Amino acid sequence: MPLIEAEQAPILARPFYPDEGAPSPITASLASVPEVLEVTLPFVGRILGPSAVDARTKEIVILRCSALMECRYCVETHTAVALDCGLSRAEVRALRGEWEAEAVFTDEDELALIAWVDAVAVGRGPAPEEVTARATEAMSHPELVELTLVAGATLMLNRYCSALGLPTSPATLARLGEEGLH
Amino acid sequence: MSVAEAIAVGEISGRLWFYANYHCNLRCSYCLTESAPGVDRREFGREKIVERAREAKELGFTAFGVTGGEPFLLDYMPELIAALGSELSTIVLSNGTVFNGRRLREMEPLADLPVQVQISLDHPEPDANDQMRGPENFRKVVEAVPRLVDRGIGVRIATTLEDPDEADPHEMERLCELHRAMGVPDEDHVVRPIVNRGRAVTNDMGVLAGFEQLGPELTLTADGAFYSPFAPTVRGGELDTDLLVSRTTSPVREPAEMLARIAGNRPAGNDASIGIR
Repeated sequence: MPLIEAEQAPILARPFYPDEGAPSPITASLASVPEVLEVTLPFVGRILGPSAVDARTKEIVILRCSALMECRYCVETHTAVALDCGLSRAEVRALRGEWEAEAVFTDEDELALIAWVDAVAVGRGPAPEEVTARATEAMSHPELVELTLVAGATLMLNRYCSALGLPTSPATLARLGEEGLH
Repeated sequence: MSVAEAIAVGEISGRLWFYANYHCNLRCSYCLTESAPGVDRREFGREKIVERAREAKELGFTAFGVTGGEPFLLDYMPELIAALGSELSTIVLSNGTVFNGRRLREMEPLADLPVQVQISLDHPEPDANDQMRGPENFRKVVEAVPRLVDRGIGVRIATTLEDPDEADPHEMERLCELHRAMGVPDEDHVVRPIVNRGRAVTNDMGVLAGFEQLGPELTLTADGAFYSPFAPTVRGGELDTDLLVSRTTSPVREPAEMLARIAGNRPAGNDASIGIR
């Protein structure tokens, strides 16, 4: 998969490239189709970026989805992001499926969210009634809408990054090594 | 601002360019697209060109341009140029080496249309010209141009130099005497610098030509829509994407509107600094 470096970035893609340093592999790959990049990145940024839902909650959704979809790039990248958002190493391991979530997470609302994500990511058809009931009790309707869309956008990126084999940045891999979470 | 308005106020050029193909029977030292015999044709396609030309005319484009590669290596090119010229003023760039026999007869309908064939001729002497453009190029061009002119077909001569400002005035005068003798008046002789893209980068030639130096002229190719006919260049076998506008070429409205948006966002006073055509 060709990753377009800054000097070859198409005009419409240039605003999405950092002033210094390498662009993310997602940006550098999407730049091959600038008209797609210029709508996709703002969309993804709006869904996964800062909003009314706090960053920790969003990272629970993103990392859990990515682990369920076995997306190496997203798991590695969002392990680092999750730590930055205040999740513990144990919580990260649980979201990655290495440990039982119930053994690590104690907040009932977060456990309800994890169950909801599991249903959204790997389920077929409507979510089970019990899972839906827990989720609607744990979250407001706007939160549920937004977090479901976070899961959906993550699934899209999981498939994109996995199918195209995007490389994790060396800095992220080094960070994971330091944290013992490679 | 609509595409028609952007063209009317000069925000973008009214000429829509097509890269018909990328293969060529020559291997010029400064070629933008590393065109040569045997390279991937990357042909845009006759029907696609006609369809997009129709869309472009409805959008408000005022002229067409066709380049390559050598467009006249494609059998349908005279007929295609006639179709484009029947709609809007059209210029087609050629190395001028294939106008004989049947191909010359096929060119004859162009005489009644607003069509010009722009042929490259860089030096008034064969050796210097052919050093840049390949063996026998000079002879073929000086034979082809009068044949086209005699048939009433519009011809422009394009001279591409490392630095036009430093050109030897005596040499330029000999070149002008030559094109006049072939029936091409001074107003149809353009002199332009080598553009430092494509093979010219490899050979360390020419002037820089990026976003700041080039004017916005929508250019459609098999690889997508580009900012200028000097944009879809190839270096080391890889397509340059720095001046790619979109992969979408149809409906033409989409890349045209993107180009107008790009042009509208250029800093004030940021006009194209190289008058290259």
